[in-house]
Amino acid sequence: MSICDLKVGESATIDFLSGEEKLIKRLLSLGCTQGTEILLKNTAPLGDPIVVNLRGFSLAIRKKDAKGIFVK
Amino acid sequence: MIIAALLGNPNVGKTTIFNSLTGSNQYVGNWAGVTVEKKEGFIKGNIKLVDLPGIYAMDTYSNEEKVSKKFLESGEVDVIVNIVDASNLARNLYLTFQLMQFNIPIVLVLNMADVAKNNGLIFDIDKLSKLLNVSIIEVVASKKNGIDKLIEILQKGNFLKGAIDNDYHSLNEAEVYLKIEGILGKVLKKSDVRINFITEKIDNLVLNKYLSYPIFLFIIFLIFNFTFSWVGKPLSTLFTYGMNIFIFKGAENLLKSSSPWFSSLIVKGMLGGVGSVIVFLPIILSLFLGVSFLEDSGYMARAALIMDKFMRKMGLSGKAFIPMMVGFGCSVPAVMSARTLESEKDRKLTALLIPLMSCNARLPVYALFASAFFPGYESYIILSLYALGIVLAFIIGIIFKGTLFKKQEEPFLIELPPYKLPGFKNLLLHTWDKGKGFLKKAGTIIFSVSVIVWFLSNFNFSGMTDINSSLLASLGKLITPFFIPLGFGNWQNSVSLISGLMAKEVIVGTMGVIYGSNLASVLPNFFNPLAAYSFLVFVLLYTPCISLIATMKKEYGNKMAIFSVAYQLVLAWIVSFLIYDIGTLFMR
Repeated sequence: MSICDLKVGESATIDFLSGEEKLIKRLLSLGCTQGTEILLKNTAPLGDPIVVNLRGFSLAIRKKDAKGIFVK
Repeated sequence: MIIAALLGNPNVGKTTIFNSLTGSNQYVGNWAGVTVEKKEGFIKGNIKLVDLPGIYAMDTYSNEEKVSKKFLESGEVDVIVNIVDASNLARNLYLTFQLMQFNIPIVLVLNMADVAKNNGLIFDIDKLSKLLNVSIIEVVASKKNGIDKLIEILQKGNFLKGAIDNDYHSLNEAEVYLKIEGILGKVLKKSDVRINFITEKIDNLVLNKYLSYPIFLFIIFLIFNFTFSWVGKPLSTLFTYGMNIFIFKGAENLLKSSSPWFSSLIVKGMLGGVGSVIVFLPIILSLFLGVSFLEDSGYMARAALIMDKFMRKMGLSGKAFIPMMVGFGCSVPAVMSARTLESEKDRKLTALLIPLMSCNARLPVYALFASAFFPGYESYIILSLYALGIVLAFIIGIIFKGTLFKKQEEPFLIELPPYKLPGFKNLLLHTWDKGKGFLKKAGTIIFSVSVIVWFLSNFNFSGMTDINSSLLASLGKLITPFFIPLGFGNWQNSVSLISGLMAKEVIVGTMGVIYGSNLASVLPNFFNPLAAYSFLVFVLLYTPCISLIATMKKEYGNKMAIFSVAYQLVLAWIVSFLIYDIGTLFMR
């Protein structure tokens, strides 16, 4: 499942990334590597973008881009 | 001369450290061929420090990363000063590992050591230094702790070279992070303190489904009131009185015995032109202070987050929101702050839409006409103009998005840093950073254009004359037909609008010269209320001022500058036309 399927406050481990090449490279350089623990911290009031937390920092990302972050 | 390159992630305090190290010995320019700011400074005379943009990696295709990579590969750099956020070390070290590929000695600066400590993070600095083979120094830049020691280290030279084996070239992201985790496991002792507790609590409010937009609007309300009612405007009024009493009268006295044309050139031309713009400095600085506070405290990232959905409809991202807000003060620094946007197309589109955010300079025109024609309803009239600008920005954005700026949407990624109370000195520095762009334009372009306008309004082919028979009046008469369908077609208004090209505030000044000083009572002889409103709409939308045109040219080239002028003229004409002519039909 993707990170968008988590509930706010739930965490999971990153399995793999899928999507546009540029996006994936940026996510990887920010530490979204396989096995990394990632938490769905918050969502924007209208539901999009979402806020995730990993490796000690928080990152806002649009749902359409976050759909490619697959977790288990 | 030792050349040092300053690198680090965004939000780590790089600018603060750069300022502490170089003091006022700074020079700001552009990297060749790109809209990326180049900042250089000198440390105690013998070290040149080059500030590179805040980046997360060296290979993800952005202009900032390309420029940094090119510079590090150039062979000019003797040492890299890599600033990392001690409270956020893992991700910060990714860049460090990327930097090690360049075979240049690295001095690692652990900034925000105090925040790390408060979050219960304790590092074995010596071990980390040995594992990475770099010199490490802990610093709290906001309190200037450690800065002197850093300067000592840089001056001593003799740097440890990081990464003796260049194996890091072959590692991919996942492998680098594994290596980082391994290293941190050996040097980091975490105590059980809950990290960023306050930030969490604030975000729960600020991003709450029901409270976030009211809070956001309230904050904007506070800033606009601070700017226009409580601090900015009163100071501006004070400035105006001060200028009139000291500078204008003073200059007139000094020049009493010189020829009248010279006195007029100095007082009315130069001082008058520049002065009418300078009195806006308090208002603009107030707005920038508010925006800088929001940026430095960390709230801006949240604002970009909640505005993203709306900005996307305009073809932009939430990040474009900040430049737009700055545009309500002055478009010039707003267009320059659009550099932070990721793609060239985003930057261009933002730059085109910023002038529709009614800037400060138009306010005196609005205020004059609103009180002359709509007494008692001034706020509504003025607010309607601001709103019209915003609505049109959406519409034009949608149109441009579908046509000229058609592209795939850029991914939106923004870090939400922990909230912090901005340091007073840094706040002032950031405010001034934005304001000085405005001031520089006033001193240069507006100064020269003031002289030109002065000349055109005081001379014609037979020598010095008054404004009614001047060259400017002839020019005005030439273009008047253009304005007749809009309800305000006479040469006086045309001339005023031309003078507005210099700076929008000047429109009022010019009208004062042409129509006489008691404008509020004179104007109703030349406009009916509908024509007055149509005129205000035209002022809202038409060609930006010379300073902005020059900025557009510098940032995006001649084509963009010309396009911006043209589309705004067309837009202004069409909307004014619709308002005046449809309005007239209704009034029959």
